Amino acid sequence: MKGNEAIAEAAIRAGCDGYFGYPITPQSEIMEYLMAEKPHERTGMVVLQAESEVASINMLYGGAGCGKKVMTSSSSPGMSLMQEGISYCAGAELPCLLVNVVRGGPGLGTIQPSQADYFQSVKGGGHGDYKLIVLAPASVQEMYDFVPLGFELAFKYRNPALILSDGAIGQMMEKVWLDEQVPRLTNEEVREKYPWATLGKQPGKEKSVVTSLYLESVVMEKINIKLQAKYRECEANEVRYEAIQCEDADYIFVAFGSSSRICQKSIQLGRDKGLKIGLLRPITLWPFPSKVLHDLAGQVKGMLSIEMNAGQMVEDIRLAVEGKCKVEHFGRQGGIIPSPDEVLHAMEEKIIGGK
Amino acid sequence: MAKVKGSIVIDIEHCKGCEVCIPVCPESVIALAKQVNGKGYRYAQPINDNCTGCTNCAVVCPDGVISVYRVKVTE
Repeated sequence: MKGNEAIAEAAIRAGCDGYFGYPITPQSEIMEYLMAEKPHERTGMVVLQAESEVASINMLYGGAGCGKKVMTSSSSPGMSLMQEGISYCAGAELPCLLVNVVRGGPGLGTIQPSQADYFQSVKGGGHGDYKLIVLAPASVQEMYDFVPLGFELAFKYRNPALILSDGAIGQMMEKVWLDEQVPRLTNEEVREKYPWATLGKQPGKEKSVVTSLYLESVVMEKINIKLQAKYRECEANEVRYEAIQCEDADYIFVAFGSSSRICQKSIQLGRDKGLKIGLLRPITLWPFPSKVLHDLAGQVKGMLSIEMNAGQMVEDIRLAVEGKCKVEHFGRQGGIIPSPDEVLHAMEEKIIGGK
Repeated sequence: MAKVKGSIVIDIEHCKGCEVCIPVCPESVIALAKQVNGKGYRYAQPINDNCTGCTNCAVVCPDGVISVYRVKVTE
């Protein structure tokens, strides 16, 4: 299955109520697969091609306001268009799932894989103090698994969740284990589970209001404090990462998504040469596994951040490490994927040799 | 003696230009086109008729877009 197709199938099986999107390479297969699978016949899920990315994110706002499981997907330029709507969703505390299959930028860029949307994804992206829960899959299986997980986290924290994939994983074909079909929630179940959902006022119950507009600054500050408290709770509970051969490592790679797949090969090559190299792969990019990196910094001599961009995650690593060890960056940009040899060479040159 | 001659047909709209087929062809038949398909990828295309019908390209293609045809040519 292609990574994009895995996301589409996962959405149907996770009991998603609606997909609204606009085609863009390299994620067009998500909608193509959904259209071909006819989920409106399988589960009653709505699939709609909106007139633009801006329209699709606002459809999400409406769907999520009703407590429905809704999702959209796009690639870099499309995500930029959606930022306003995403900020509104975060402001109104609406859970929804976004998928970004990143391509090279800036501007229209290329259609080849890149990881240059890291900042946009983990720092908020739109206006105002908000964060997205960001999951970074490194395999087609994870593309599948992170859809139900993304919905779970989004509804748990009432915040948009983002799957930050890239063109390589989206287009890659791998074997995938599929889960059983989860039934969609009925309106009664939604009312019971999510009392904030706006599904029509019930007699004897308070009116639910979905809004991100608070004209009084005192009220707005209270909302902001509430949001921040929610984000701190999320940071405390939801950090996910994978540590590969870090126990005895002298040097470690820090990489997410498809870069981490390249690093796994580089570790093998390095270990064959007698270099003790490990890999730390953040699975949640926000909340970032800062504490783990901080602890690791005490035991290793240096860290090299491998990203398909000009150095974005490296800043978060430096913040986490607080100068306890050397942190450098290596990356290729514009849709070029670094080779395992190149990555190992960079490690030897920048971290091991560069003292 | 009967000789086998091959020919490939590529479904260009489903090709993503990953170039996996190019190094596996013993006769260097395949190259990426200068043009792009509907999704914007440069697609694979045959550039000469040295194809022997070995099917290496069709076996490695992750998207199964290459069909190989073989004909026996008697001289």
